[in-house]
Amino acid sequence: MFRLFVSLSLLIAVLGAAAVAEMPQSTAAQNGPAIGPPPAPPPAALQAVRFAVIGDNGTGDQPEFDVARQMVASRAQVPFDVVLMLGDNLYGRPSAREFDDAFARPYKPLLDAGVRFHAILGNHDAPDNRLYPLFGMDGQRYYTWARENTRFFGIDTNRLDDAQMAWLENALKRSLERWKIVYFHHAIYSGGTRHGSNIELRVRLEPLFVRYGVNVVFSGHDHIYQRFKPRKGITYFVEGASGKLRKGINASAESAAAFDQDQSFMLVEIAGAELTFRTITRTGRVVDAGVIGAGPTS
Amino acid sequence: MATHVMPTDWRHAAPTRSRAAGSLHYLTGHYLLLPLGATVAFVWANVDGFSYYTVARALAFPVNAIAMALFFGLVAQEIFEETAPGRALHQWSRWVVPMIAAAAGVTVGAIVYGLYVEWKLEPMLHVTWPVVAGVDVAFAYFVVKAVFHRSAGPPKGGHYVHPAVPFALLLALVSNVIGVAVIAPVFANAAERTGGAAVLMAAAFGVAWWLQRRHVKQFWPYIWVAGGLSWLALYLEGFHPALALLPIIPFMPHARRRLDELFADEADQRGATPRHFEHVWHYHAQAALFLFGLVNAGVVLTGYGTGTWATLAALLLGRTAGIAIGVGLALALGLKLPANLRAREVIVIALAVSVGFTLSLFFATTLLPPGPQLAELKLGALLSLLGVPLTFIAARLLHVGRFARAHVHPHGKHRGA
Repeated sequence: MFRLFVSLSLLIAVLGAAAVAEMPQSTAAQNGPAIGPPPAPPPAALQAVRFAVIGDNGTGDQPEFDVARQMVASRAQVPFDVVLMLGDNLYGRPSAREFDDAFARPYKPLLDAGVRFHAILGNHDAPDNRLYPLFGMDGQRYYTWARENTRFFGIDTNRLDDAQMAWLENALKRSLERWKIVYFHHAIYSGGTRHGSNIELRVRLEPLFVRYGVNVVFSGHDHIYQRFKPRKGITYFVEGASGKLRKGINASAESAAAFDQDQSFMLVEIAGAELTFRTITRTGRVVDAGVIGAGPTS
Repeated sequence: MATHVMPTDWRHAAPTRSRAAGSLHYLTGHYLLLPLGATVAFVWANVDGFSYYTVARALAFPVNAIAMALFFGLVAQEIFEETAPGRALHQWSRWVVPMIAAAAGVTVGAIVYGLYVEWKLEPMLHVTWPVVAGVDVAFAYFVVKAVFHRSAGPPKGGHYVHPAVPFALLLALVSNVIGVAVIAPVFANAAERTGGAAVLMAAAFGVAWWLQRRHVKQFWPYIWVAGGLSWLALYLEGFHPALALLPIIPFMPHARRRLDELFADEADQRGATPRHFEHVWHYHAQAALFLFGLVNAGVVLTGYGTGTWATLAALLLGRTAGIAIGVGLALALGLKLPANLRAREVIVIALAVSVGFTLSLFFATTLLPPGPQLAELKLGALLSLLGVPLTFIAARLLHVGRFARAHVHPHGKHRGA
């Protein structure tokens, strides 16, 4: 009995030590896409950053064309030159024809106007879709880029492995921009009745977002639009209805706005310490709008 | 493996044993700690997901990479002992049909998995096909034993083992070996390869060999010293370290017993040497299995998706069909099934080994980091427990085993339906 007690205690001690060692995630790894040198402090006068957000759009069906047409029309008011794509960018099997039907043709006017797209992969995307040049991923599953006083972090929640987590933490830590925006496919806050919030991802990602001052998070996966009241200083959006649409949103006191009656996209403008957003349906109806403050300059 | 069935009169043997200790013996003896851990995890994740995933995340590495080494060590030890001369697995002729059937089961299962994933247009899941190789050996053993418990067969030295039992176990073992061979080099949490692993593994072998030469009967030096070195070598080289005890097992002292006692160790004979590894370590392994269920089986109900249905279809339909095809192929090649096994018994056995549970969970957590796709696969592995009732339903419909219309009791008495 004594021997059993001793050996079980030893086993528990080893497991406990390993668990404690695992808890603080390592930040040492430097693998993954280049982060680049820390930027110089932003100059006092900066241009506004304007971009659109679409998610779960790659169907090649009429609603996707309608949303794209409305995006073109909205550029008259908000001349955005970047589009964030939140995954499920191509539902069909990857082929030149499919990329043409579900991406190049619907967004041709935007592409012709020089608008750049930056995609991340959803669960319906093939891993090699990251190599498609017009998706602006430079062949990477996760990457970061900056414009004026805003840094964007595109991450791959299909495979959120330790290497990517270490890269993300390092990239967030090095970012000196006033605005930090993260976008990925699987929402960690969502009222969608099909998928809802992914708690497992939230446990891993939210502490990093809070620690390093992320301001806004965009996700898709649930085919709805939803905005949550700021949580720990972060505003979470779900925009997964730019091609697909699935009705059904659970009521929640944490939800600030939700819409599941039609396909939609978002327009965002960042000027100084303010982020202005509008969510527009494919018929041009504005279903949500507001202003988010960046908080004190870091 | 990780279970330990006490002799039927154990209460008389230990009248002062408390009720709690008795319950613990019952749970460990009937392989119930793993399902208990899985049930706690499932309920916890759906009631308070945030606290569950916080705890599960902290425990994932020590449980999956360290504690599970005991489990796989026990499995390896069971297999190794049975390959000794005169033992059930010594003759290769007994392996051939189950090997063909297992390979066909994994192949057809993987095809079904791939076709489903392709149909649902989720190509990212293709790489996770090895989950279909996972067979929960203990579930297979208990289910087959329950179905064939009172079926016909000649008494053999006072103890009759229905050939379905070793046949199912061989199927399960071969299938899992295929899965382990595929996933071992893709340990998702592998550290960067730093070299020196060969030296560490050589040291592990050296220590184990030296212990064997010194006729050391205690197990702990083999496990903690040689096993520890082996663990480090595998981890540093990017192989799954839970397999660390596999190369050490052949050096350890072994006891003799029958194949049908794979999960039912005899009572401890104090002073008897060599004492059985499983008997000495069964509490540790059971604790590891409980933690494994607790850490890995927590999936929210809305976490289902293509990976769930692909896994379930591959395990229940693909592998069952594949095993049937494999056996048919073996028979066409002129090989023979063991006595008392016919097509309908094979179908029931194939369904019994369709439960992936522990091994499918293990393979899935090795292939994918925590996230939505892993959750889908886990749910599929959990739902494969449906294979248990399906086995009994099939046995009843096909009049197999205990559901046979009329058969001879193993002890010679005729029994009715």
